[in-house]
Parts: sequence; structure tokens; C-alpha cells
Amino acid sequence: MILVALVLVTVGGAGFLYRLVRGPTLADRIVSLDGLLTVIVTAILAWSAYHRDGTYLTLGVVVALVAFLGTSAFARFVEGRRR
Amino acid sequence: MSDLVGGALVVLGCALAALSGIGQVRFGDLFTRMHMATKPATLGILLVAVGAMFRIEGSGAVTLLLLIIILQFVTGPVSAHLVGRAAHRHGDWDREHAVVDELAEVDEL
Repeated sequence: MILVALVLVTVGGAGFLYRLVRGPTLADRIVSLDGLLTVIVTAILAWSAYHRDGTYLTLGVVVALVAFLGTSAFARFVEGRRR
Repeated sequence: MSDLVGGALVVLGCALAALSGIGQVRFGDLFTRMHMATKPATLGILLVAVGAMFRIEGSGAVTLLLLIIILQFVTGPVSAHLVGRAAHRHGDWDREHAVVDELAEVDEL
């Protein structure tokens, strides 16, 4: 059953990756990068649930933290940029 | 039984992630895409983490999963708010199709 979940996560990641490449503005790319990292955390959790192994859960915490710090730093950067 | 519940929760959360990925391709405006991108950031992670709690044994795993849930619930809306405000100030959004723009009345820049 969880294999289906891993396929679904791959579909979501592909959508975010498409917007990361296409996105017309920088803000679009930041939103999709944040979403992509969220999808990666989801994938790590689903993978751990599939294998019943808690080893990689620390990685999920780290990726979630990096996603927040990166997104807020990029948001400040966009805000400070000249129109 | 608990395996079935856990698997169902994981599949539900991952389906939410897939839906938001499809939304990234289909939606045309920054704020509609943000609306779609921030749903799996809280609800999807919550569903998958609770589902993983049903399947992984040991208290350490449950602690880490709780940490991930709390972290995501605190930081997800904050970063979405920051990006939304920055995009609004910068003008990177579809102003013509907006029905209401309350931030413009408050936010003078």
C-alpha cells in the first residue's frame, strides 16, 4: 500500500520541479522550492514508514529546518530587490 | 489493524502531496499556487507522520515525528506569509483578477 504512496509523492515532486524550472518570476521559484522540500520531507517519512525504520527521521527534521531558513532568507532577498 | 490505519494515513498524506504538485502545473497565479503548495506543508506532513507512528516502533521515532510535526506547523505558515508579502510588495502577482486586495490598504511601501 505504501508503494502507492511513494508513487504519489513522486508525482507531486515532479509538479513542483516543473514549476521550479518554468516559473516566470523569482517568487514562483521560491514557493515551488519550499514545496519541493516539503514533498521531500513527506517522501522521507513515507520511506521510513515503508521500511519500518526510524534511522532517517533525523534527516526529515533537518530538511524541514533548512526549508524554513532558506525560504525566509529568499523572501527577504526578493523584498529587498529593486522593482 | 494498526498497519492498515498507518498505511492509509500515509497514502492520504502522499495523495495530498501529489494533488499539490498537480496544482503547481495547472494553476496560473502565484497566490493560487501558494494556496495549493501550503496544504501538504501542514496537513500532508501531519497525516504521513501520524501514519508512520503507527508503523515504526520505538519511542525515539515517535519523538522525532512529533518534532517534525511541531516544526512544520510553526514554520510552514510563517515562511508562506513571508513569501506572500514579499511577492505582493514586489508586484509579482495577478493584480487584474484579484477581487479584493486588503494588504494594499494597510501596507504602504
